[in-house]
Amino acid sequence: MDRRRTPGLSSLSSTRLQTHHYTNHGAKLRTNTAASLETQLSVFQSLVHNFALTHSKDIRANPAFRAEFARMCTALNIDFLASSYHRDGKPGAASKSSGSSSSSKSGESIWASLLGGSVNDFYFNLGVTIVDVCRATRAENGGLISLTDLRGHIARGRAIGSGMDVSDADIEQAVRALRPLGGAYGITTIGHRKLVRSVPKELNTDQATVLEACQVLGYVTVSMLCVNLDWGRPRAVAVVEDLLAESLVWVDCAAGEKEYWSPAFIGGAV
Amino acid sequence: MATSAETTTAFQYPPHYSFPPFFTLQPVATTRSSQLQSWSTFIQSYCRHHRIFSLSLIDALSTPLFHNTTLSRQLALRDAKAILTWMASPEGGHRAEFISSGSKKKADESEGGRVWIYWRRPEEWAQQLEDWVDRTGQKGVVLTLYEIVEGEASAREEFAGMDMELLRMSLGVCVKRGKAQIFSSGGEGEGVKFF
Repeated sequence: MDRRRTPGLSSLSSTRLQTHHYTNHGAKLRTNTAASLETQLSVFQSLVHNFALTHSKDIRANPAFRAEFARMCTALNIDFLASSYHRDGKPGAASKSSGSSSSSKSGESIWASLLGGSVNDFYFNLGVTIVDVCRATRAENGGLISLTDLRGHIARGRAIGSGMDVSDADIEQAVRALRPLGGAYGITTIGHRKLVRSVPKELNTDQATVLEACQVLGYVTVSMLCVNLDWGRPRAVAVVEDLLAESLVWVDCAAGEKEYWSPAFIGGAV
Repeated sequence: MATSAETTTAFQYPPHYSFPPFFTLQPVATTRSSQLQSWSTFIQSYCRHHRIFSLSLIDALSTPLFHNTTLSRQLALRDAKAILTWMASPEGGHRAEFISSGSKKKADESEGGRVWIYWRRPEEWAQQLEDWVDRTGQKGVVLTLYEIVEGEASAREEFAGMDMELLRMSLGVCVKRGKAQIFSSGGEGEGVKFF
């Protein structure tokens, strides 16, 4: 301190010494902070680890809980679905988790190692179930199934005990997870309703319009289309015939005029 | 035949039942096959619930099975026949069989005739009977057919109150398998022995 005012050449060297000390100290502080942050991180990680392990059943079983868990992870910049594709998504994570040696296995995500793959697998399983349901009902609904229907099918399950309680968000997530498999699966919106599409086709605007109109009453007739949409009769007939051929509507001849019903209304409110 | 007396719980109709076009046979092949499958499942579960073993087409048309009064939709005789024919085909898993009565087929054609609804096939019934006999230790005992269907010992079994004709067919399967022997002592009192 008292050297600060040293006159002459020695003041130069003392300034250098001073800066040197400052730098040293700064570096030390930085490493300290980094070390403490790292400890915090590892503590946090082990907590998340424990949390995920103790609650993995809840995460799988309870959609609301899963949604909250997913939201927490997103807030922390952890995408547990994506982290199975990019395992470098969270650096240093794999080396941290102490107990499981499998965590360092290549190609396995942190979540796969944490939860025994249950969260990832949950969405992949759900994806497989969705594919199953879509294939089973394709002849009935032409490859378009509403999220509500799909959820009902999944909740019922194919075998005893295989029913899953899922939310619409889960289904959308799972359908997104199917994307790498090819373009066949996707989510389309018709009117106010979201549908899972399992056939690689696009509806033209007329078809989409008719399907949208179907949602009002559950059915349309040719004359309804003519009156309400100002279409010519041939146009209306052509569109419904197309939809009929693709199993996207069912025909009901029992009423006076042929009614074309959307299969989404099977069991639905009439 | 239709012993629907003890319908304790209401039958849970499938979601398709309240879908009007379900009662019109669909013209498009893929839709149609899915519709036939749904009908088949529905008819089987309906008959199982109400313990119906055979249907008379013409009478069944006005029952809730083929007639949804809330929707005022009814299956046409022609369509009902098509469905049952499909059920009887290998594609439909042989879940139905038209009964050719004593009179020639022409009479059946006009009024639809009678149909077995196999919510269990005779082979499956045979298996159940064998299991039951095995479980209750009645091997080697002579049982009357009446006893099997109406007896107290079988009151809790699925084949209680079963159609006699169908029982005979099922026992016929047992005989073919070499698991049973039928004694016909003339007239009513028929007996069967399992071994």
